[in-house]
Amino acid sequence: MNIKRMISSLFTYIPQEQYNFVLFRDTTGNQSSENKELKKDDENKTIYPSLSVNLEYVKSKYNSMINSDIIIREFTLNARGKQYSAFLLYIDGMINTDIMNKFVLEPLMLRNKSNMYDNEQNRIISEAVTNNITVRKVKKFNLADYIMSCLMPQNTVEQFSKFSKIFNDVNSGNCALFIDTLNIAFDIEVKGFEKRSIDKPENEIVIKGAHEAFVENIRTNTSLIRRSVHNENLIIENIQIGDITKTNCALCYVKTLANSDLVAELRYRLNNLEIDSMLSSGQLEQMIVDNNLISIPQVISTERPDKATSYLLDGRIVLLVNGAPYALVVPAVFTDFLSTPDDKNMRTSFSNFIKWIRILATFISLLLPGLYVAIASFHQELLPTDLLYSILASRETVPFPVILEILILEISFELIREAGIRVPSPIGPTIGIVGALIIGQSAVSAGIVSPILIIVVAMTGIASFAVPDYSFSFHLRIYRFLFIFLGYCCGFLGIGLGFLAYLVVLCDTKSFGVSFTSGISPLQKTVGHSYFLQPIWLREFRASYLDPKKHNKQEKISMKWKYPFLKEEDIQ
Amino acid sequence: MTDTKITSKEAIMLVVTIFVSHTIVTLPQNLLSNTKSATLINLLYVGIIAILLAYVIYRLLKNFASLDIVDISQYLGGNILKNIIGGIFITYFIVSSSNLLREFCEGLHVAFFPMTSIQFVLIPFILVLFLTNSLSFSSNVKTIAIIFPIVLISIVFLFFGNFQNFSFERMFPILGKGFYDTFITGIGNIFAFSGISCLYFIPPYLKEPNKMKQIALSSVIIGLLYFLFCTATILLLFSFFVDVDEVLPLYSAASYIEFGIFFQRLESFFMLIWILEIGCYLIVTNRFSISIFQKITNLKFQKPLAMIFPLLILGISLLPKNYSIIRFLESNIYSYFIIAIIFVLGIAILLLANLKKRKEGKVR
Amino acid sequence: MKHLLKVFSFVVIFVILTVSFSSSYTRLNLDNIAVVVAIGIDKGENNKLKVSFQFTNPSSVSESGSSETAPTILKSVTASSISSAINLMNSHLGKELTLAHCKLLVFSEEIAKEGISDDIYTLMNDAQTRPSCNIVISKCTAEYYIDNSKPFLESLISKYYELFISSNQFTGYTANATLGRFFDNMICQSCDPYAILGGINLQIPSDSENSFSNKESTDMSNSSSLTGETISENVGLAVFREGTLVGELNAIETLAFMCINNDIKGFLISVPSPHVENQNIDVYLTPARNSKIDVSFINGSPYIKVDCKFCAQIYSMTNDSNYLDNNVLSQISESCNRYLKHVFTEYLYKTSKEYKSDINAIGKTSLKLFSTISQYENYGWREHYQDSFFDVSVDVNVKSSTLLSDS
Repeated sequence: MNIKRMISSLFTYIPQEQYNFVLFRDTTGNQSSENKELKKDDENKTIYPSLSVNLEYVKSKYNSMINSDIIIREFTLNARGKQYSAFLLYIDGMINTDIMNKFVLEPLMLRNKSNMYDNEQNRIISEAVTNNITVRKVKKFNLADYIMSCLMPQNTVEQFSKFSKIFNDVNSGNCALFIDTLNIAFDIEVKGFEKRSIDKPENEIVIKGAHEAFVENIRTNTSLIRRSVHNENLIIENIQIGDITKTNCALCYVKTLANSDLVAELRYRLNNLEIDSMLSSGQLEQMIVDNNLISIPQVISTERPDKATSYLLDGRIVLLVNGAPYALVVPAVFTDFLSTPDDKNMRTSFSNFIKWIRILATFISLLLPGLYVAIASFHQELLPTDLLYSILASRETVPFPVILEILILEISFELIREAGIRVPSPIGPTIGIVGALIIGQSAVSAGIVSPILIIVVAMTGIASFAVPDYSFSFHLRIYRFLFIFLGYCCGFLGIGLGFLAYLVVLCDTKSFGVSFTSGISPLQKTVGHSYFLQPIWLREFRASYLDPKKHNKQEKISMKWKYPFLKEEDIQ
Repeated sequence: MTDTKITSKEAIMLVVTIFVSHTIVTLPQNLLSNTKSATLINLLYVGIIAILLAYVIYRLLKNFASLDIVDISQYLGGNILKNIIGGIFITYFIVSSSNLLREFCEGLHVAFFPMTSIQFVLIPFILVLFLTNSLSFSSNVKTIAIIFPIVLISIVFLFFGNFQNFSFERMFPILGKGFYDTFITGIGNIFAFSGISCLYFIPPYLKEPNKMKQIALSSVIIGLLYFLFCTATILLLFSFFVDVDEVLPLYSAASYIEFGIFFQRLESFFMLIWILEIGCYLIVTNRFSISIFQKITNLKFQKPLAMIFPLLILGISLLPKNYSIIRFLESNIYSYFIIAIIFVLGIAILLLANLKKRKEGKVR
Repeated sequence: MKHLLKVFSFVVIFVILTVSFSSSYTRLNLDNIAVVVAIGIDKGENNKLKVSFQFTNPSSVSESGSSETAPTILKSVTASSISSAINLMNSHLGKELTLAHCKLLVFSEEIAKEGISDDIYTLMNDAQTRPSCNIVISKCTAEYYIDNSKPFLESLISKYYELFISSNQFTGYTANATLGRFFDNMICQSCDPYAILGGINLQIPSDSENSFSNKESTDMSNSSSLTGETISENVGLAVFREGTLVGELNAIETLAFMCINNDIKGFLISVPSPHVENQNIDVYLTPARNSKIDVSFINGSPYIKVDCKFCAQIYSMTNDSNYLDNNVLSQISESCNRYLKHVFTEYLYKTSKEYKSDINAIGKTSLKLFSTISQYENYGWREHYQDSFFDVSVDVNVKSSTLLSDS
């Protein structure tokens, strides 16, 4: 038998069965227009009076036969002794079951005092007696109103007549109540899904500031902001972005401070985004900035509510995206990327010292490798003789030219950095050790790179970590390579002209109508903004380039207790 | 269109940038060879004349709020005069900037790139001009506003860094070549203040046109101070009885600076700053010539011109065969050219236009 | 497509620039240069120059910071000019010489007497040479001088060259003569250049005694009383007239030069004691203010007034000295005055009459007496300087002794 099979396998032709899945692209092109029409229909669909039609529509719309977490609960509703059939639509896992049972199903289904009456009693609104004739103004019984006012012990209940609105809320964790004979549906808030609790910020660590960070849930985030602004003028507008995801975004600003043109512009940009999905604040950032070609960040992105709040109170606008633990702040200027929320919590002299260090860090991180290459290639006369000798001595065994050497090291440094982020956290420290020891120590002893260069690259790396904003430091990392090439290509001439071009581009950049270099370059008097902080009692104004509605931040004499006998006239 | 408007401080820096760039190359040398040891006095004297002229220009421009000289010449003599004047000023800007560029690049060639031929040293500048011309005017001016203070500080640093090497006796004999040479023919040194030409063109760009007086006067005064620092550095540091010409005198001066053993060789850093400054100068002249050209031809956009003018500058700066021709042009022809265009032609046109306006006013 | 074109043009431009600058790169980059620390210029055969270059081997400058003295390499070539010598050396070494770190320029006495102005012009024309490079005129050959200048306290020769001149501000035995200043004084019509006088100590005790002073102050390079290994030493000044060596100054004359030139911070002299015969007192002088030079013309020849003021502290102490007595102090200061006045006058007449060289740049002070350059040129300071009459006044204010005041 076996021999037979062997022989047959040898000589018989068996067609090769290869699994081959190909996704065909619909090239006819009418798909999109169909979709659009369908969408338009859906948007305008109103709720039918007949429950069974509604039920059918909802079932087909939600694909409830195959969608496992869509739950449609049919039941009978008691109202004034009458019974109506009804159903609830909600998504399992997104609602709070307790609330659902106790405050939705229980009052609607169980008999209680309020739905005991059986006759159609009309409620008397007012009664007037004239000439023994009693005139009664009677309100006709309205089931919808009745349910709304008597049967729904729930805080947030709304009535909608359009399916689209109902579905939108169901998707975000509400439940919808459809009742026979009514051409409206109730939208009941019973949200209760699992979410992360407020945690410590992980990427923007400060010493003296608050230790709260935004979470993914937009309501928690708005509450964080609301709690610290603590004023009714804080407006949190809701804007939905994305045709499919309909992501909730919140546009937060203080009405009495933020420039209304700025708010209108941002609202205009947000409302005119034709995209299917919006999943994170990083995507939104790229969708709304003026210029994406240059990698300069034009929007501040922060995970700290206190930072967002302080910008809000400066008259800027904060954007929150549901599902993203980062808030976006617009407009942003250059100096914002070199500031941390801690600056204002420390004494002025401390923070100004740190700010100097940050400027230095920016320059080192952008230019140091480029300058090193330029000096080594063209301008060795610049080096003091002793330093020249130590560089020469350290480069004796190195086979590569300086440019190759620095590229090898810079790229391996970037590799270590990227690997360190992606690596699972238990083995994270190993990457650092491997990187630092193996690459650094062994490369030097093997004579591949010179120790001086290790110092240069390490200095650059450390400096780029001292730049507080992640995306800005990333921007510097990329442009650093440009300057390395320029330095290699034409020495100081390349670096000088490259820097000039960089400055011009920087000055040309605008973030939401505000010049990116405000506070540095248009040397008009920009009150209320300087990179270096003034003593706290002198910070009287909000930054003038934001053109806020209220310019004064504090009185001319803010520490009144110091001058108890000062009269009003003296202050002027 | 607030994008193209500049503040008065920026305008001052823009004008002074034009003054300053020439000092990096051979301007101090030319001044010194004209008037020798009396240069400082001569500069003060010429500076006062320049201030007066700037004031005159301001008064004459005042009647034509936010019109530049091309518009004014159109008012005076119609389209023909407008084209002639525009052409002359474009030529002036292009020629002076290409001359300056060539001179500076000759210096760069000597100091930094001894083996690279001069046209390749010029190319990076032209590339940067492509970029800057295609961006907004205000961004260019903002850049100048960032770079200019650095340049100013660098020259003050140069002065005080060399202070220990100065011998103040070099200011004597006090009259230099003689009274006549210092105060009569010495007026020719006013060509140093060629940056005044910018005053003719900035009124349309100003955010606050009423501050024109402040701009005119303070830019000339700052420029004068700057000149004094530069020429003093060179005069007090080097002997000038025998003419020893240096390609970049300030560069040579920078190599004398020493602070202890470690900080000795700073001239390359100065060079880095001056590269930025020359870049700024080119930006300004390019911008002005493009805008004049736009006015003459009634073009709607400036962008198509962004590459043409830099290429023109590149071409003209490559014309002179060697350095001696450039120096000859610079010291003999160029100065008269400047005086004729800026101080004679410009003021004459403004005067005539003012007369015409007054006449019209009377007729009305 | 448009984007692609942009990227393409960027790449093309970058390549063009890299290629065009690469020739400068190969000439200037760190791996291709040989750093010259010192240059020596001697007279060679057939009216040619013998140029010696000193290098340091960088590999000996290890990063471990060893304290051993780094070995230096000295190479000499004979060529018709400095530039061709550099060229020859380039081909010999296979590397490009860079003079940017050259700290020392040594000319032999022989060649300096024939005039070195052309060499100085050439060196100043070179973009790499530093004006702060020191000029030494050696009594022996330049090659021998460089070969025997060995640092004792530093491991790097370049550091030694940088520092060896810095003590002169407190001793006054030699002046800081740099290439830049030399060149400047050379082309100037009212001053003359000077250089450091260097030599190799051959350990021959000097026996020239001066009646006024102790032995050291008459020391000159080649004849000082230092003992120890063979060592280069730099004491005294070489005096030039325009570009030619005309004479030498010994230590005390150099001191006079530096005092008049305001280059000195303090110095020690021995003055005859006013009380005891044949005994000297060591006094440390610091200039109280800059020396004043005043020039006027009497009958067409310059009348030069030099006025110096010093503060003094007494260093030497004996068992019977009493420096609390005002009389004693004033006597000592009187003695100092007399001594310094004598030294200064001697020095000034020596340079003006014997050497006809105005290394103190007194001519510059005279500039303000003229109103135009042509007047000055017509007068001809250089010719008239030898006829000048000097009037030196020195005012020393002896303050105290150092720690002990009375014994």
